Order: sequence, then C-alpha cells, then structure tokens
Amino acid sequence: MTELVGIVASRGMRSVGIIAIDYLIKKLQPRLIDELYSTHFPIIYETQPSYAAHPDHSGMPGIRLQKGGAVLPKIEFYLSRSPNLLLIRGYHANFQGQYEVAEQVLDTCEKHGVKRLFVLAGYGVGEGEVCCAATEIELVEALKARGIGTGYEGPFMGFSGLVLGLAKLRGIKGVCLFGRSQPSVEDPEYPDPQAAKKLLESLSKVLDLSLDLSEFDEKHAGQSETTVMGS
Amino acid sequence: MEIKPESPCMVTGLPGAAGVAKLSADYLVKQLKGELFEELYSDAFPPHVLIKKDGTVELLRNELFYCKRSESRNDLIIFTGNTQAVSSEGQYEVANETVMRAKRFGVVKLFATAAYVVEKPVEKPTVHGAATDSSLIEELKQFGVVPMDTGSITGTNGLLFGLAALQDIPSICLLSETPAYTTPTGRFVVDAKATKALLEVLTKMLGIDVDMKPLDEEAKLSEEFIRRMEEIEQRTIDEVRKAAASRAPKEQMYT
Repeated sequence: MTELVGIVASRGMRSVGIIAIDYLIKKLQPRLIDELYSTHFPIIYETQPSYAAHPDHSGMPGIRLQKGGAVLPKIEFYLSRSPNLLLIRGYHANFQGQYEVAEQVLDTCEKHGVKRLFVLAGYGVGEGEVCCAATEIELVEALKARGIGTGYEGPFMGFSGLVLGLAKLRGIKGVCLFGRSQPSVEDPEYPDPQAAKKLLESLSKVLDLSLDLSEFDEKHAGQSETTVMGS
Repeated sequence: MEIKPESPCMVTGLPGAAGVAKLSADYLVKQLKGELFEELYSDAFPPHVLIKKDGTVELLRNELFYCKRSESRNDLIIFTGNTQAVSSEGQYEVANETVMRAKRFGVVKLFATAAYVVEKPVEKPTVHGAATDSSLIEELKQFGVVPMDTGSITGTNGLLFGLAALQDIPSICLLSETPAYTTPTGRFVVDAKATKALLEVLTKMLGIDVDMKPLDEEAKLSEEFIRRMEEIEQRTIDEVRKAAASRAPKEQMYT
C-alpha cells in the first residue's frame, strides 16, 4: 500500500467504530502526529446518543481525568508507516461544531496526503455480515466484488458520516464499513466488541492488512472508560 | 453550469409537512427534465449524511434546477433539496441566499409551495393561497385558489415567500390541504393527493402541460395509506374512550 489511507472512527452506534480504531492504534503502535481541539467538544452530552446533535443542546464542556492529569476532549491523528495509514480517533462535536470539525479533520487529512478514506462505524440491525457505503458507485461495486454488500439505507449521523459526506464534496474517495450490531435502547453506545472484531476482519481483508486479531479482547474491549463527575 | 434564463419564474419546495412542497418541486423537475445547475451546502443543515439505496453517500443539500421553455413561455428555476436548515438563523440565511439568486436571475414571479395542515381527513384537498399584492390575489381566485386571510407558513418554505416580497419579487404561495400524518418515528407520510391538487393549480398558473398519470398512482397509494392511518387513529381513540369509561368511578367522589 503506497498511498496514505485514512481510517476514521468515533464513538457511535454500540461504539463499534471506536473499539475498532482503538485496537488498530494498540496493535500498529502508530505515532501521534496531530491533535484537534474544539470549543464545540462537550465532555457531557445532553443528547442520547451523543451523536444525535441538537441545536438547543450544546452539552457541557470540561476535562477528563486520566492518571491524575487533565485531558481535554480531542481528535487524535496517528501515523503508521507499515501499513501506510493515518488513524483518526474522532470525537463528536455538538450541533454548532459538527461541520467545522469535520472540515478541519479533512484539512488535516489533505495536509498529510490522504487519498482515500475508510470510515468504521456500527449499524443497528442485529448481528450479521459487515456492509458498506461509499462516495462513488464504483467503490460500492468493488466492495461487492470482495464480498461486502450494501445493507443500510438512511441517515448516517455524527462525526464519521459527516467526514465521509464532506470528503465526497472535496473529491476524496471514501468507503464506510458498517459492523452490524444489536441496538441498545438504554445505552445506544454500549460497546459491542464482537461487531467491532468482524469490522476489523473486513477492513483487514479489503486493505490486505493481514491484521493479527489474536489480542482482541472480545469480552472487554471498549468498556474501560469510567467517569466520576465533578464540577 | 451557467444559465441565462429568460424572464424566469421560480418554484420553491423543500421538505416539510406531508412532503407536499418537496414532492411538488421534485415532480416538476422530473417531468420537465430540469437540469441541476447549482448545489447549496450549509453548516446549518442537520449534521448527518444520507446513505442511498445503491450504497452511495449524499450530503444534505439544497439544489437549483433550470428548465428551458419554449420562446413564448417563461423559463423555470426550481429550488428544492433533501433538507431544511435547522436553526432560525440558518433558515433565514438559506432563504435569503436563494432569493438573492432569484433577484440576480431576474425572476419575474416566485411560487412557493407548502402544506396546509388540517386536523381532519381530507377527501378533496382545497388549495389555499397567499400573494404579495392584490392583483395576484385576484389571479389566485381565477384558478380556484382560496385566499388566506390569516395563518402562518413556517420554515424556509414560508421565508422564501416573505423574503421575496421584501425584494419586490411578485410572489405567490400555494398551500394544499393535508392531514399531515406522521409515522411512529415522527416522519411525515408523503401526501401525493395533496401534492397533485397543488400541482394542478400551479401548472395551470405557469401555463405548462405536465403528465399527471405517474402522480395519480402515487396519490392512490398515499390515499390508501392515509385511510389506514385514519382507521388506526380512530380505533385508538375508541379504545382509549372505552378504557376510560370502564375505569370511571360509579359514584362521584369528593375530596
């Protein structure tokens, strides 16, 4: 893989995308090369799920404590040279910041020479095979030829969807792989590691990554974050 | 694509109640083979994209189509899209941008489309109307449109009409009666019957011939769908009344 491929994910439907990208970051040991901060990143969202942005609910700003230190909400860009990937660990902005943040992410992608984007996300229809969407019909056909069909029709909310849509407008080719998951009414973002694992298997196949998934924790992936509130 | 329209009329229709305005605009685009010449994007649009049936992704946007007409007729510019801006500022911004384009293209008359929501089943939708001056009100009457004395037209569909008036563009707003049913997830059920009633008036006012047969089919389907919705609604009301009656105390209690 000679050209730099961007992999984008954020917390979303059953946290499928974020679990997948966290595993890639852990496994490939890429270098953190950029961070994006925004006044539009809430630490507590007033909408459920977090990606259901609403103009009247901006969320609450704040910091997360990590090992005793303060961490601001941010988007992280990691560069891996073998394979040649820019891993983008996304974060949902509030309604006012969604477009601005997605545009900034694409600016950063272009700055680093990303030619193609792969978005990793979840799709709440129950278990099943990974399905796809893309910026061009040719890409959809190419994925079908590799055994990944379409399956979802409708709105794709939040950070990752907007990055994909705005990428199309800039002429950047993009693909989205959806890991199918059972929706959770009580907690729409409750982690589904199994769906994330299937997603990674498909990504590995499509990009010929030969990704070693032996260290993937099917039981606990995505469940490490706990929040103690203070104000 | 650059256009040089001659004395164009503009028709506007964005998604709104019962999908009347959008379907009206979309139907005209399809039947008149309108050419897309401009796309409008805004960060005031809802922050999501649409995955289409074929698997491709589409950003939310508004669109301008151009329909070249014969020499004796006004050209047509049609404004539609797959969303409305969410915030008040965004709705004004998009409506204003569109009206400014109308001004630049020398639009001689703007026709805004909208739904007239009624809280009852509609057998034969009446088309109501409003206009920017009294001569246009008289014109509306000639086409069987019932002029509106009071009321409001919310969202971008209403603002387009109002802002066009501020720019001295003669404007008419046509509103077709619909019960505007929604699905359990809150989406509007598209009312093709109301759309057809509106288009019958609009096409006459524009002096254009449009094949209504495809819309007839859709109108029959939506009529059937709406009839079922009304049945379900009535059944629910009856059940609630029955349940309330069975729970009513036999003797009046005072506390």
